[in-house]
Amino acid sequence: MTGQYFQPGVAEPQIFEDLSGVIGGLRAAQPSLVAASNDDLLELLADFGGRLLRDPATMRLDGVVFLAAWLKRANLEGMLELNLGGREAALEGFIPLGEGARGTRIAARPHGLVSMWMAGNVPTLAAFSFIPALLARNVCLVKLADPEAGMDRILDVLARSEGPGVSGRELADCVGVVWYSSEERDLSVEMSRAADAKVVWGGRGAIEGVRALPQADHCVNIDFGPKYSIGMIDAGIQQDSEQLDAAVAAFVRDIAIFDQRACSSPQTIFVERGELSLADVGDRFAAAFSKLPPKPDLDAYTTVQIVNTRAQWALDEVRDVIASADGANWTVCMDQEVSLKEAIQSRTVFLSAVDSSEHVIPLISPRVQTVGIAFGDPDKAAAFAAAATLKGAVRCVRPGLMNVQESPWDGKLLINQLVRWVTLKP
Amino acid sequence: MADPTEEGPDMTLEDRVTALISGEQFAMPQREKDAALASIMGDLCALVATGCPQYGRFLSRLGRPASDWTSLADVPPLPVTMFKKFALSAVPEEQVVRELHSSSTTGQSPSRIFIDKTTAFRQARALVSILKDAIGGARRPYLVLDVPESVGDGDTLTARGAAIRGIGNFASSTTFAMRQGGDGSVNPDWDVVSAFFSEHGDQPVLLFGFTFIVWSRFVREAEEHGHRFKAPHAQLLHSGGWKKLTAESVSKAEFNERTGAVLGMPATAALDFYGMVEQVGTVFVDCPAGNKHAPAFADIVIRHPHTLEPVAPGEVGIIEVASVLPTSYPGQALMTEDQGELLGVDDCPCGRLGQYFRFTSRVERVEVRGCGDTFAAKRDGATP
Repeated sequence: MTGQYFQPGVAEPQIFEDLSGVIGGLRAAQPSLVAASNDDLLELLADFGGRLLRDPATMRLDGVVFLAAWLKRANLEGMLELNLGGREAALEGFIPLGEGARGTRIAARPHGLVSMWMAGNVPTLAAFSFIPALLARNVCLVKLADPEAGMDRILDVLARSEGPGVSGRELADCVGVVWYSSEERDLSVEMSRAADAKVVWGGRGAIEGVRALPQADHCVNIDFGPKYSIGMIDAGIQQDSEQLDAAVAAFVRDIAIFDQRACSSPQTIFVERGELSLADVGDRFAAAFSKLPPKPDLDAYTTVQIVNTRAQWALDEVRDVIASADGANWTVCMDQEVSLKEAIQSRTVFLSAVDSSEHVIPLISPRVQTVGIAFGDPDKAAAFAAAATLKGAVRCVRPGLMNVQESPWDGKLLINQLVRWVTLKP
Repeated sequence: MADPTEEGPDMTLEDRVTALISGEQFAMPQREKDAALASIMGDLCALVATGCPQYGRFLSRLGRPASDWTSLADVPPLPVTMFKKFALSAVPEEQVVRELHSSSTTGQSPSRIFIDKTTAFRQARALVSILKDAIGGARRPYLVLDVPESVGDGDTLTARGAAIRGIGNFASSTTFAMRQGGDGSVNPDWDVVSAFFSEHGDQPVLLFGFTFIVWSRFVREAEEHGHRFKAPHAQLLHSGGWKKLTAESVSKAEFNERTGAVLGMPATAALDFYGMVEQVGTVFVDCPAGNKHAPAFADIVIRHPHTLEPVAPGEVGIIEVASVLPTSYPGQALMTEDQGELLGVDDCPCGRLGQYFRFTSRVERVEVRGCGDTFAAKRDGATP
């Protein structure tokens, strides 16, 4: 039973047999984090974002440009305000609850140690998880899905970042990044037992696996996934060819990013019957896919899934398919069935014709996370979003924005969920 | 006999296929063979597509026109799993003489393969042609390491039954070594086996069984109960998945050694072959160098998992099997869910020409990497 511990500034990961040393180090680092002000942290994180873009070790990492923009002070300030309802100062100590509270004071205190299990589809995902936890003054034990994705380099840059009241090294010491084989259940048990809160990003297997681990009674569980995302193209937008092409191109970008394995990746896109036939819309998707660079190498299992799906759609009289000529690069499947299709991922989209966007609403459940909405009429889009979110969807956004990490995410205000609201009535 | 690589104006499609089946099986250089098969495939697939509109749609939607096919790799391969999802027949029901079924795992439909007279005839001749090269043409006593029930009766046949019957063409007499228990278990009948070897052990005999059954129900049982036989002239053909043996860390060498020891035959007399119910008659048998070769009327295309282009020697990819035998169903070019390594072309130490390869593994399900849910609506019962 061994794992790897990635420490900033150390070239080779340290091999460990149990996590007691890592956990002890994190607990010891928390007081300096708790003592830091919001301002100190925001300045430091802004510097961190700038360095990520300049540092040769990280500047070309997948998703770093977005991460750097996300780390900008204005964005994180806005996130804190939204998450804590304008009471960001409560992270630094007790503040008056307000008029009518008879002197009650409240503070937002950290849970303590947050254990995080990462999904493997988004290389920078860990940062979107541990930065909110750090802002809430928690220390984080992060288990990577892929040790090669570059998170060690990102942590190195954090450790070299500078801020007015707290150093990057102090902040990096509050994040313990580890990797071990998912077969090493004992290490996951140790992570879970030590946790005051657990954050899991992943598919059904990962979520259920972590949920089943023993944990402290007070431990808070926050799960991201598994979710399914869809798109909706209404008849109105089909009247403007340019607008439709822009929406299709944006959907294709949403599909291509993260190899369509994110909870926010569109799998089925419904096309309201309008001026264009489904085949016409399919051709536009095919044209947009053709402009993408080839995807990285595929595993044989995903290829077999793609090849099987293509054949199944091609053999069927009432379905149709357009497939890339260059191997398993992309696939557009089309039918008239109003249903959510089993996701194949890896640039495989299902276009389904519907008489009305309203017919899609009954398909939406809490399993649906993001709906990409390409509507010609904003009022119709708002009505659709109102109905879709009532049924369970949590994000209705323009195509092109489906994978943009924002708060709330998946219906949750993460920073808020990573603090305990405590009261003082002197 | 007509030369299949020199198609004259008078040669019908049937003539060209027959020439390939009847000729020498492993003597054609790859380039000539590929051209001959590609040319037959154009006409054959068009014919099958006429009778099977689903296949016609498949070809027109996912492939280049047949007139552009210059190599076997240009023929769009149909995934074998489609036979589980669609009834793909290219002939009217009254022309179907036999329906073959694959074994199916729980909850899955089996493959359904519709065989007409022409296909059945070709399959039988083709199998004989291949096996003659591997085991010689003489008929000999045949011990089936399976139960009689696996052959079935009537017009429906399973993969096991089809293989047992096909190899039976080389039998002078047939004996089943196993008995089926009341619980469906397969158990060796040692009295029958002992009697078979007592009577025929000193002469050439032929044995056949499915790899896992041979291993788990015959070889290991024999070892456990101390049964040893003496059949120095025996040849064992076996086929079927290695997954369970691999899980038990049993290598091919160990299988051959221990099987040879139990049967009292050389380890090299155990011949593994690769084949499937969706392409009965086309089998890829181990050569003395331990490699698998395609006969003249069939070939493999090992495709790169990303580009789907044929791989170069030394590379691993997804195995496609192609054969000009079927006329009654679209089984001409089939994409399997197996992976294999292309070892070389026209240069196997055994002297056989053409491509040679080794099966490496099934394509295994990979862990879902993302937070995306692959199952859309099945689990929560959401309905339109």
